[in-house]
Amino acid sequence: MTSASIELRRARPLLGTVVEIAVTAQDHARGHAAIDEAFAAVEQVHRLMSFHEPHSDVSRLNHGAADMAIAVHPWTYLVLEAAAEFRRASAGLFDVSIARHLQAQGVLPLPVIASEAKQSSETALDRFGAGAPRHDAMIALLPGNCVRFSSPEIRIDLGGIAKGFAVDRAVEVLRAHGIARGLVNAGGDLFAFGAPHAVDLRDPRRPAALLGRLVIADQAVASSARAVPEAAPSLIVHPHTGRTAAAALGATVLARDATTADALTKLVLLLGREAAQILARYGARALFVAPDGVVHVTDGWPEAVGHAA
Amino acid sequence: MSGWKTWVVPPAIVMAAAVPARATQYLSLADAQRLAFPAATQFQPANVVYTPQQAAAIEKRSGQPVRTRGEQVWRAMDGDKFLGFFILDYVIGKHLVIDYAVALEPDGKVRRVEILEYRESYGFEITNADWLKQFEGKSSRDPVQVDKDIRNISGATLSAHHVTEGIKRVLAFYDVCLH
Repeated sequence: MTSASIELRRARPLLGTVVEIAVTAQDHARGHAAIDEAFAAVEQVHRLMSFHEPHSDVSRLNHGAADMAIAVHPWTYLVLEAAAEFRRASAGLFDVSIARHLQAQGVLPLPVIASEAKQSSETALDRFGAGAPRHDAMIALLPGNCVRFSSPEIRIDLGGIAKGFAVDRAVEVLRAHGIARGLVNAGGDLFAFGAPHAVDLRDPRRPAALLGRLVIADQAVASSARAVPEAAPSLIVHPHTGRTAAAALGATVLARDATTADALTKLVLLLGREAAQILARYGARALFVAPDGVVHVTDGWPEAVGHAA
Repeated sequence: MSGWKTWVVPPAIVMAAAVPARATQYLSLADAQRLAFPAATQFQPANVVYTPQQAAAIEKRSGQPVRTRGEQVWRAMDGDKFLGFFILDYVIGKHLVIDYAVALEPDGKVRRVEILEYRESYGFEITNADWLKQFEGKSSRDPVQVDKDIRNISGATLSAHHVTEGIKRVLAFYDVCLH
């Protein structure tokens, strides 16, 4: 439409996945400068919110926030605020303090003593049973970007939301550079703006086949699947029923930003059809596959989705 | 009432395509070099062919197998000033080759890592079948692969692991051969 433009597409290994950034720019220099800075934002999120890196904000909180209030980067604080908001909206289902429960199952490295891990497999249910209201006091968000935990038992893992947040920050950077068309994709959490972008939904039982294709523009899409579709013990416990979650095998959410889409996929996996209210509250739409293989879509799910050839 | 409609399709897990279905080139070698060292006026080839002892030392230090006879290396120069190393390496998933570049500061610290190209060696179906293995129950016990309760399932996660392992090997290569 305008003068000559070029398309650039780059990828780096970050956030435990491959992050891809594509832009349409007026020239190479401007395009690469925008992409460089967008990657820098993703790297920043990686540094701040990694569970594994010892100097991340998350690690500093997990090791010290029970003893004293710890100041974190404004971005970490923003993510914790967003997580608290999703937690309230979901009556406690969305929970960033889940890491300790997973550690008990040997999924994450244990920074704590072994006996504690054994014990926690029994207390996981108790912790959920304690209910939502208490939890908000457990991770206190204080003035000056300070965070304090009420107990040394608390560990946080921002893996369920940080990837989406990183995508949103990268998109902000691209737009600030005057990029009118772009895409940021962090391993399936993506945001496309300025032009329609096709996202393929795959059918794992027929690997070469696509379940459908979704065309998005100026919105985010995120997908999550159960780490363990069947057999093995579930890593998610529904706090109200105490049973393992089985509402969905996989979920895809369309939302106005990637932070929201990322967080809501987890809630759709846990709640299935019951997620309708929360989705509506955020103006989001969703598709999920129930354990019986039936695919459910919200009203307003783009009609463009269908069987792909 | 519920706001949901059902859509009957074969049992499936839904995911976004995160790794391109076919080969994708991101950056040319020359572009990757320029972006890693914008101040460089010249990239001097400084390829290394391993001695058997060096290959063994790299494997020992990195814990990663050495599958090549050497490494493609350039010295980034601004006139006479040495800016750092540019190393072109690749990693192999079962059916996917990923070309990537590691730029190192003169002291061996990683300056940047950038993926240049995905090349599929066997084809689309097998590539997918390969990453679908991550769904199988036992892989979820592997602490390297699973880092949270629910993953965004994609080939990108596996690719990232392969590249991470490759970087370990490249850093061991620096220690053994360039330092």
